[in-house]
Amino acid sequence: MTPRSAAAVLAAVLIGAGASGCAAKESATDSAAGAGTEVSVNATDTGCALSVAEATVGPVTFAVTNNGTKVTELYVYGPGGGVVDEVENISPGLKRDLKVELAEPGTYSVACKPGMVGDGIRADFTVKG
Amino acid sequence: MTDLLAASGPDVSAQLLGSGLIGLREGLEAGIVVMILIAFLVKSDRRDALKWVWLGVGGAIAVTVGVFLAILYSAYSVSGLAAEAVAGVASLLAVVIVTSMVLWMHRAAAGLSGDLKAGMSKALETGALAIVMLSFLAVGREGVETGLFMAGYAEATTAWPLVGLLIGVGGAAAITWGMYAGAVRINLSKFFTYTGVFLIVVAAGILSYGIGALQTVGWLPGLGQHAFDISTWINWNSWYGETVQGIFNITPTPTVLQLVGWLAYLSIVLTLFLRPAPAPGSPATSANRTMERSTT
Repeated sequence: MTPRSAAAVLAAVLIGAGASGCAAKESATDSAAGAGTEVSVNATDTGCALSVAEATVGPVTFAVTNNGTKVTELYVYGPGGGVVDEVENISPGLKRDLKVELAEPGTYSVACKPGMVGDGIRADFTVKG
Repeated sequence: MTDLLAASGPDVSAQLLGSGLIGLREGLEAGIVVMILIAFLVKSDRRDALKWVWLGVGGAIAVTVGVFLAILYSAYSVSGLAAEAVAGVASLLAVVIVTSMVLWMHRAAAGLSGDLKAGMSKALETGALAIVMLSFLAVGREGVETGLFMAGYAEATTAWPLVGLLIGVGGAAAITWGMYAGAVRINLSKFFTYTGVFLIVVAAGILSYGIGALQTVGWLPGLGQHAFDISTWINWNSWYGETVQGIFNITPTPTVLQLVGWLAYLSIVLTLFLRPAPAPGSPATSANRTMERSTT
């Protein structure tokens, strides 16, 4: 195997791993047309305010805006404590969407992590069946 | 003017600084290993092998740009958790290659009766594949993640975050260049030992980073069990805090597993690297043997 082909194989493996986590983007225009719940998250250095604290089972889009001065990230934890999904490196002034499929009813936890350290500022998010 | 801007979220300086710090950390995370690799090659008179480094780096940049364009222009996106999984696996692979390379060099140098330069040169001769893969993984391990957050910059309403990011990457490049300039000035007899130890410390951090990423994904247990929390000791969100995190891939709140992995890797690999060179495979001259004894 030449270095070139090895690099190509590696790239393919990594892209494949990434692609397995691909999800259809929700286009910004049809978000109001009932494609799941849209929750806007106001992330600051000291707060993590969700516009809505509950949803029904299905797709939920968290639209995070970093209004603080620190770089932040958003984590969604499942009822069992595992990470459902995350979005990192949200710089001050930027808005990022995190679309997740919350398939099971229960109490989820949404965490903003200003400074990207620690357990973050958590808020409960209830999903009903 | 500042009042007007502040009214719509973080002011310009916060936007510049926040993104600048991301650029600084990500730039260092990507650049340090490649910098050491280049210093190794230049110091062992193997500039001809630099093309393998650039091939790997170029491949990594191509993947990152590809992911970025795909997210921006296709109907699909990559989940943050999938990016984390890629970064975790790529980090662990990079650690495997770094480790075998460092220990291989250690043995090769010994095999050539203490001629470090010839030893390194010989090790690198058979290592074109390792060089390409290591350069690719070192730069590209966070490529998917980078492509993902760059899409956020592309959709930003102002250019300040992007300007800040570029300044931060520039800062990382300057620090990396400074470290390179310092490293190549080190006396040859000490160079491979010093940079080898530094590389092992960096690799321990990359291992810990990979463990943390796979814990987040859920492939490794113990995500919630933190070993300690030193996040208040220094300001980790300052330029120096991010520089330390970027170079050594450490976190102020490691999980128990991350800490154990970091410590175990450091103690085992440093011991192997710093132990007296093993007996040469080929018969050495008595003069060389005497020299080796005197250094042990």
